[in-house]
Amino acid sequence: MLKPARVQNTTEAEERAVFRGTALPWVFLLPSLLILAVFVYLPALQTLRLAAYRANVILGTERFVGLANFTELLLSPAYRQVALQTFVFTLLTVTLGLLSALGLAWLASRPIRGANTYRLLLIYPYALSPAIAGTLWLFLFNPEIGLVNKILGALFDVRPRWLDTPSLAFGLVTLAAIWKGLAYNIVFYLASIQNLPGDVMEAAEIDGASGAQVFWRVAFPLLTPITFFLVFTNVISALFDSFALTDILTKGGPYTGNAGATTFLVYQLYQDGFVNFKTGAAAAQAALMLALVAFITWMQFRVGERRVHYGS
Amino acid sequence: MRNVKTILLTLALTGTATAQTTVEFWHSFGDAKRTGWIQARADEFNKANPGIKVVPSYKGSYNDSLQATILAARQNKAPALVQIFEVGSQLALDSGAFQPISSIKAVDFSDYIKPVINYYTIGGKVNSLPFNSSSPVLYFNQDLMKKAGLNPKTPPTTYGGLLKACQKIEAAKLGATCFGMSLNGWFVEQWMAQQGAPLLNNGNGRQGRATATNLDSAAAKNIFGFFKTLQANKAFTYTGKLEDWDGSDAIFTNQKTVFHITSTADIGNIRDAAKTSGFTVGVGVLPIADGTKRNGVVIGGASLWVSKSVSKAQAEGALDFALYMTNTKNMADWHKLTGYYPVRQSSIELLRKQGWFTQSPLQLVAFNQLTKTVPSPATAGGLNGAAIQTRKIIEDGLQKLLAGQSVEAALQETKARADAALNEYNANFK
Repeated sequence: MLKPARVQNTTEAEERAVFRGTALPWVFLLPSLLILAVFVYLPALQTLRLAAYRANVILGTERFVGLANFTELLLSPAYRQVALQTFVFTLLTVTLGLLSALGLAWLASRPIRGANTYRLLLIYPYALSPAIAGTLWLFLFNPEIGLVNKILGALFDVRPRWLDTPSLAFGLVTLAAIWKGLAYNIVFYLASIQNLPGDVMEAAEIDGASGAQVFWRVAFPLLTPITFFLVFTNVISALFDSFALTDILTKGGPYTGNAGATTFLVYQLYQDGFVNFKTGAAAAQAALMLALVAFITWMQFRVGERRVHYGS
Repeated sequence: MRNVKTILLTLALTGTATAQTTVEFWHSFGDAKRTGWIQARADEFNKANPGIKVVPSYKGSYNDSLQATILAARQNKAPALVQIFEVGSQLALDSGAFQPISSIKAVDFSDYIKPVINYYTIGGKVNSLPFNSSSPVLYFNQDLMKKAGLNPKTPPTTYGGLLKACQKIEAAKLGATCFGMSLNGWFVEQWMAQQGAPLLNNGNGRQGRATATNLDSAAAKNIFGFFKTLQANKAFTYTGKLEDWDGSDAIFTNQKTVFHITSTADIGNIRDAAKTSGFTVGVGVLPIADGTKRNGVVIGGASLWVSKSVSKAQAEGALDFALYMTNTKNMADWHKLTGYYPVRQSSIELLRKQGWFTQSPLQLVAFNQLTKTVPSPATAGGLNGAAIQTRKIIEDGLQKLLAGQSVEAALQETKARADAALNEYNANFK
């Protein structure tokens, strides 16, 4: 793969430029490969090795257990619950997040007065770090002194316990994650909508298509490449970036069934690896997540080749 | 590098320079107030001891800095002095990365407050030097108490007393819940100690490795039962998030609860916030289970550990600095700044002479509670290597109880999970 390709007789000069030996391209690749090796490949290999041990990083103990870490994880009701929660959370944040982003971007791209202001307001949450966003939500949803319950209490005389009712806490974290991701998705959708071919849309309108028809029959198919890209970036961020939000908002709680209702795979990994120092178990979880990401990447290429309309 | 070494060697040989020993000190105080105080003590110490250079640095949370220390020790680059939180004590001990300070050189520990030094004395050896110590106390809103017809001069001292006060508060319709606190396993540890009951078997994990928790004991039932009654009477509230110290403080200082329990280290912050919010705060002893003798509190906070892999000179330098930082005057000063206990008897004497307790009478309750502690394995505090995890499991249990689970079911589940965590940890040594 890394060998320079044999060049066919094309006319373009740069395509004929070829390295004489095999050494030079490797020399050019070396810095990147070194960095990747030190910061990605070696740690990844080390993780895979640790996954076969019962290890504790503080004690420095390591005992070979083969696949026991994996079987324990996959059989543990706690880990299964966490995996299921992660799946539901990812599904909800990605679908609801993209639908609302698309809707808002569509509205904000209409030629209306103050469109720029709307766009600015829609994009600004992107500038907040997840930690700050989490803290803001924590203040808002404090059951006793938070703004949300003050308003709900005054209007309807209800004060929901957002953070320790399992379903509410799960919903709240999901909502916060959707809100946090909204700006990023809107930026991409806005840019794509503004680049939609005006003549095609206009032709549809002249042919008597309604607003909804223009959107679903013309614009939406033309937006599949960006939607496709966003689905995968959103899946990855739901899997990994949910960490800061859960840590600050709920600490993975409340405990229900066999695990915390808002404990997702990456938070469980953090808890086991860096709070409880069960290094081996955490490494096994990391290996499982690696497999998951590999699968998602494979899907991305597979689906991307077959279904996405990239135009001519 | 080689040149520098040669020069240094030559200088040393000719006796014109004294080699300087560097003492790295890793701590977990990220705020300017406390970091600044530590840096100032290091500067003073370095000035007085030209042969030693203490370099304090903030290394993230207690968990982060413990991990960083261990990894550094594996590469022989351990900091000489590290601040480690009390639940990490057994883990730090088991890591083998530290040496007992009592074996570095002879130190007179008689001046240290007994319950504090007891926590860190393991197997007859003082492993680490107490530094920032605190215990929980009852905070109350004097104005709301008066409105409910309660006397702020006699705050409740038992669960029963508190529950009775809650009935009056409920009847007075103040628009505030009677009681609130952050759900933290630390409080359960305290309430076990107050009843003279060890939290763990094998002498609270001090005679041998703890293999089971005593969460099926009558003492544990008292604690969970108290929360159950509070829940049934709708007399308790919290933010819903575990270990949410700030959120719970905010509920109290916003006058949404009348009673609150948290660390003595928060006295300063809460007093200031109460002033802003417009009420007078009072401080009382930690309310305990009815019908039990008050055995006192277990110390919370952190202590200073000396790494094993450093040179003798560095170890001594580290200990000397730790002793300097916790000397009579500095500890009194530290207490005034932060609210943490001064860990020495002589510091308390000094504060008394300075009239500190008449200026800040709130602090006196906290001191008496600590100094009147009866020494026993229960009040020395439980030791276990999975303490970070078991503490969290106990919090989960309390949370489930407050969500409607029965006392028996909650304790059973909590005990099963905590015992499993202990066994899993102990399996590391098989």
